[in-house]
Amino acid sequence: MKNKILLSAFFVIAFYSCIERQNFDQYDDLEIIPTVEASILYIESPERLLNEIPGQDFYSQDYNFDGFSEDVFSERVLDGFIFYEIENTTSKEMEATVEFLDEGGNTLDTQYFHIDPAPTPLVQLQVAYGTGRSIEIIKNTSSIKVSVRNLGDNSSVSSLPDPKIIFRSSGKFRLRLK
Amino acid sequence: MKQGKQVLLSCLLGSIFVTAQNKQILYDFTEIPQALMINPGMSTDFQWYAGIPVLSGISLQAGSSGLTVNDLFADDGVDFNVKVREQAIYGMDIRDELSGAYQVELLNGGFRGRNRDNFYSFGIYNEGDAIGYWFKDYAILAFEGNADQLGRRFDLGHLKTRGEMLNVFHFGINKRVNGALTLGGRAKIYSSAFNFSSTNNKGYFVTNEGQNNLLANTIDADLELRSSGLNEIEDALDNDSSLLPGILTRRLFFGGDLGLGIDLGFTYKLNKQTVLTGSLLDLGFIYSSTDVKNYTVKGSATVEGVEVILPDAFSSTNDDFWQNLVDEVEALVPYGTNSNSYIYFRPTKLFGSIRYNWGEASNPNMDCDCNYMVSKRKDYTKYANGAGGQLYMINRPRGPQAALTAFYMRRFGRAMALKTTYTVDKFSWSNIGLGLNLQVGPVNIHVMADNLLAYGNLADSHYSSFQLGLNIISWGAK
Repeated sequence: MKNKILLSAFFVIAFYSCIERQNFDQYDDLEIIPTVEASILYIESPERLLNEIPGQDFYSQDYNFDGFSEDVFSERVLDGFIFYEIENTTSKEMEATVEFLDEGGNTLDTQYFHIDPAPTPLVQLQVAYGTGRSIEIIKNTSSIKVSVRNLGDNSSVSSLPDPKIIFRSSGKFRLRLK
Repeated sequence: MKQGKQVLLSCLLGSIFVTAQNKQILYDFTEIPQALMINPGMSTDFQWYAGIPVLSGISLQAGSSGLTVNDLFADDGVDFNVKVREQAIYGMDIRDELSGAYQVELLNGGFRGRNRDNFYSFGIYNEGDAIGYWFKDYAILAFEGNADQLGRRFDLGHLKTRGEMLNVFHFGINKRVNGALTLGGRAKIYSSAFNFSSTNNKGYFVTNEGQNNLLANTIDADLELRSSGLNEIEDALDNDSSLLPGILTRRLFFGGDLGLGIDLGFTYKLNKQTVLTGSLLDLGFIYSSTDVKNYTVKGSATVEGVEVILPDAFSSTNDDFWQNLVDEVEALVPYGTNSNSYIYFRPTKLFGSIRYNWGEASNPNMDCDCNYMVSKRKDYTKYANGAGGQLYMINRPRGPQAALTAFYMRRFGRAMALKTTYTVDKFSWSNIGLGLNLQVGPVNIHVMADNLLAYGNLADSHYSSFQLGLNIISWGAK
C-alpha cells in the first residue's frame, strides 16, 4: 500500500509540469540597430605645395569610396552624420568643396567650406543624413570628390611650424540589422 | 495547434540547452545497470542484464545559466527590446552558458564472469553535446555598435563554443577486489560524426581617436573555428537531405573520426555502512581528420579611413585608394581556411560520493540466485536507507564546472527504490531531483527527472534533465 502511494506521488510530480503562457511573436518586435562610426577620408598637404602650384585650382581628386554602397551598409543604414574638420596652419585663405558622387559620376550632394588663413580655429561641421539631407545620398555614394581652391597667393609662408592644410572626416550611422 | 507548438518550443528552448551531463540521480544507484556507465567501479551484484536496445538508457539534459525562455518570452507586456537588453545583453556574464547533452544507448549488456568477482559490461551508445558561452562583447557590439565607445576594447575572446555527436563503443570490467574495495575500468572507442570548437580565441576591437584622422578602428584578432564532418553534412542538407542518414550512420560506425578513451571508478566501504565512491569518465581524445575545415582570422590592423598625403599621393592619382585600403586590411588580418587535422579532448567528468546506509538490511545473508539483486555475499547487503553527498565536475572551455549534491535513497524491498537529490550548481540553487527504480518481474525500469520545482513553469527553468531506461533481467543464475 505504501509503495502504491509513493508510486502515485512520483507520477503526480512527474506529470504536474506546466508552462506559463509564452508569446514568441515578441521576437518580431526585436530591433537590432547599432550605431557605428569610422573615419572616411584624410587629406593633408604642406604649404610648400600650395606655393608650388600656380593659380587658384590647387587640388581636385575623385576618390572611389565603396564603403557606403556596399550592400551590407547601404541596405541597412537608417540615418547618421558626416563630420568634417579642416585644420589650416598655412597663410592661405582657401575654399574646399566635397562632393558625393554616384556610380555614374553624378553629384548627389555638395558641401562647401571657406577656410581663413592661419591663425584660424578648426573648421568643424556636422551634416545630418536621414534626419536632415536624404539618406539616399549616402546609400548611392560611390565616390567622393574633393576640390581645394587657393584664394591666397603662391609665395607667403606661415609663421607656424610645419604649416599644412588638413582635411579630416568621419561618419556615424545607425544600421538596422534586424 | 499553435499552442502546442509554443509548448514544444518552450520545452526545447527551456530544457534542451542544459548543463552538462551531471547524472546525480543515477550515480551510485546500484539497482540500475546504467549506473555502471558513470562509475565502472560501482559495487554490483548483478548476475547479468540486457538493456532493451535504444530504450535501455535515454537521457536529455539542457541548461541556460543566465536566462530562461520565460525571461524573454513571458507575455508580460514589457517591451521585448528592453527585456533583451536588460536580461541578455547586459544581464548575462561571459561565464553564462547555453549547453545541452543527450545520450541514447543503442546496446548495453553485462554478465558476471567465471570468476564471480568480475562483472563485464559492454555496449554502444550515441551521444551529443554542445555548449556556447555568452559572447557578451560581440552582442554589445551588434546591439550598440562602436559609436561613442572611444577606448572600449570589445573582447573577441568572448566567443567560446564546442559541440559534437559521436558513437561510443565500450567494454568495461568491474572487479571486486575484496570485501571493501571494488574497482572498475572501461575502454572506449569513439566514432565521431562531427565536431566543432572555437575555444582559444583572443583579440579585441577598439575605436580610438585617430593619429591623423578623427577616428582609428583597430582590430587585433587571433580567432579559429575548427570543424570536422560539417561540410559534407551541410552539402547534404543543401542538396539532398536523403543522404544525411547514410552519412551519419557511416561516420558513427567507424567511418568518421576515431578516438580512444577510458573510464575509471571505485567503491570503497569505509565500514559496514559507509561507502566512498569515485569515477573519472571520458579520459580520452578524438583525432579529427575527416572532412576537416578550419577557419582562421589572425592579424592586426588599424584603419583611419582613406589617407591621402600630398605630395606623395600625386604619383598615384590613378590608384583606387579605397581598394588599396581594403587590400591592406585583408593582408594584415587575413581570413583563411585550412584542412589541418587536429586532436581534441573529450569533456572529462569526475564523480565522487560518500554514503551512509542504515535501516533494515534488504538481503542479508541470502543464499540463492533467484534474483540478480540477491547476493550470497554479505558485502552486497543493501540497506533500506542511504544518505550522503556527491561531487560532480566536468572540464569545460572556461575551466571546470562543479556541482554538489545531497541525496537520500530509500529502498522498498526489492521491487522499488527511490532517490531524491538536492543539487547546487551554476544553473540552480534549488534543484531537487527524483529517481524511481522499479523491478517488475523480469523487467527493470528507471525514470528520473530533476529541477522539479521548476516544473511549475518549465519555461522559467534554467535547467532540466530527464532519464529513463528499460532493462530485461535474468532471474536465473548465470
